Amino acid sequence: MTVTAAPEAALGVLPRADGSAKYSYAGYTVTASVNGPIEAQRRDEHPYEAHVDVIVRPAAGVGATRERHLESILQSSLTQIILVKNFPRSLIQIVLQVEDTPENDYVNTKLVQASLDFAIMPALFQTAVLALLSAGVPMRATATATAVALVSQDGSKTSVVDPSPRDVEIAQSVHVLAFTSQDELLLAESEGDFTVKEWDEVYETAKQVCCRPVPTKEGMEMVLDDEHTSGPDLRHFLRSTMEQKVASDLHWK
Amino acid sequence: MATETASTGAPPPSLTFTRPVFAKLSPHPYLLRTLSPDSPDQQPTRNNGRAPHQSRPIQINTSSLSQAHGSSLVRTGDTTVICGVRGELLPVTSIPQFRPHNGTLYDQDEDDEARARKELKDYDLLVPNIELATGCAPQFLPGVPPTTLAQTLSTRVYSLLHGTGVVDGRELRIWYTPETKKEDGDDMEVEGEEEEEEQKPEVVAYWVLYIDLLFVSFDGNPFDAAWAAVLAALRDTKLPFSRWDPDREMVVCRKGQDRKLSVRGLPVSCSAAVFLEKEHAEVGKEEGNRHWILLDPDRSEEGLCKEVITVVVDCSEGGTRVRGIEKQGGTVVGRELIRGFIGVAEGRWREVKEAMGN
Repeated sequence: MTVTAAPEAALGVLPRADGSAKYSYAGYTVTASVNGPIEAQRRDEHPYEAHVDVIVRPAAGVGATRERHLESILQSSLTQIILVKNFPRSLIQIVLQVEDTPENDYVNTKLVQASLDFAIMPALFQTAVLALLSAGVPMRATATATAVALVSQDGSKTSVVDPSPRDVEIAQSVHVLAFTSQDELLLAESEGDFTVKEWDEVYETAKQVCCRPVPTKEGMEMVLDDEHTSGPDLRHFLRSTMEQKVASDLHWK
Repeated sequence: MATETASTGAPPPSLTFTRPVFAKLSPHPYLLRTLSPDSPDQQPTRNNGRAPHQSRPIQINTSSLSQAHGSSLVRTGDTTVICGVRGELLPVTSIPQFRPHNGTLYDQDEDDEARARKELKDYDLLVPNIELATGCAPQFLPGVPPTTLAQTLSTRVYSLLHGTGVVDGRELRIWYTPETKKEDGDDMEVEGEEEEEEQKPEVVAYWVLYIDLLFVSFDGNPFDAAWAAVLAALRDTKLPFSRWDPDREMVVCRKGQDRKLSVRGLPVSCSAAVFLEKEHAEVGKEEGNRHWILLDPDRSEEGLCKEVITVVVDCSEGGTRVRGIEKQGGTVVGRELIRGFIGVAEGRWREVKEAMGN
């Protein structure tokens, strides 16, 4: 049950925010707005660096403990890639609104769930990074994230990139990994039952998706892509989205 | 002090501080200093006297709360947490969207296990809640809504409870087999088939486990302590014998016939924080920025570290199974370090197993 459609993104969708982005992939649609650097509240003020505030709003209902957890994960990761030291005593606010989530056809599950949703994390992460780029917030690197589920089928284990809710339900283990554009591991969250060796394989798969080297001009990348398409090329996607936006913004020249 | 110097007159005002004062004034350089000793024959130590890879000993007491069905008290250094497990009955009639169970009482196959797992999640049969008591650490103020830390911790405990499947959902079901009526012989032949149908055992209620955690004293590394407390309390839990009374249409419990809850596996969590040499280093130039991995960080160390890693391992079934990895807030810990850290977590697993008692 792999997702065939390529990720889609639009930048600058909200006119009043400093930067915004809308990203949809694997059934998830997320809109993000970024405002910053703005004045920080007294209690959030840090004398040496900017405070990064992440707010996650679910598709239905109000945010609960699960959203707080997602926010804290995103906040600690994004603080690492934003040049927070450049803006002491200020605030960079990122609001992520989940618009659409894929439905699980098998069951009518509860609307509000307390456990951490691994499959949504990459979408939130990608949208936040795109919105930060759109707002022109100085960053030391960009980052890409992906989710991988290990599903055991007929005795053998297959890894599913960007799993559907059904895959997550039947999976042995689910993993979310994020890499910076310098190929460093920024975030790793795993759940389930797995061995070190399996985690290594997941790491390789995720790295393949997140950090595929920038394609060369010769056109040989097309062949490579067909050989092992274990997911989208996220780094290239991020780059081409930005290139398109810049090209359209500078069209008047 | 001023009056003292004035009265004695002789000693000039000095600018040397005692060690605790210095540690309080500029904690980062102080910790850095103790971690990087001048002479090579000195071992790097932390402010609390531990070596970087040394964790605090763990103490576990169980059954200290008399009103709960299971309880535990866990101490690691100055972090103390109490956990109480209380079972409450949930009749299926009060579950919205209840889907009747089509398995039987003696189903032991994998499908039934998976179904039980789903039931735990769908009907919320495990309810963990964490409270960081006022006064357990200076940063927790009275009369405020639950902090982000408390909410994050309870989500993590909830996720891990379901992810590891330590509680078998099948043990929380309460079954009832309708009795066959034999007196009305006239209708026997006509309704024979229907009677057969009715005799199937059915689930009439569930036990809901309310798992409440209270931090009495908070000195860093809350998740490891909280998870150890949850595990110890669940292993201590005894649920009373219960059956469905069809006349009163309710579940009745009997005293003195408690059944011990079986807990699958022994997943143990192990956390560490990464301390960087340069606190406000030039970003993007992390080469040459030395780092130390501080196992089981205390509160003062947690304040100085951004990158944290938690690994949950279970070695109870022979080989090492990893049940969870959480790493966030930095880029120092890569693939090799995580692999190495799983080895450290195995050591911690043995310590906790010893403390658990069996």
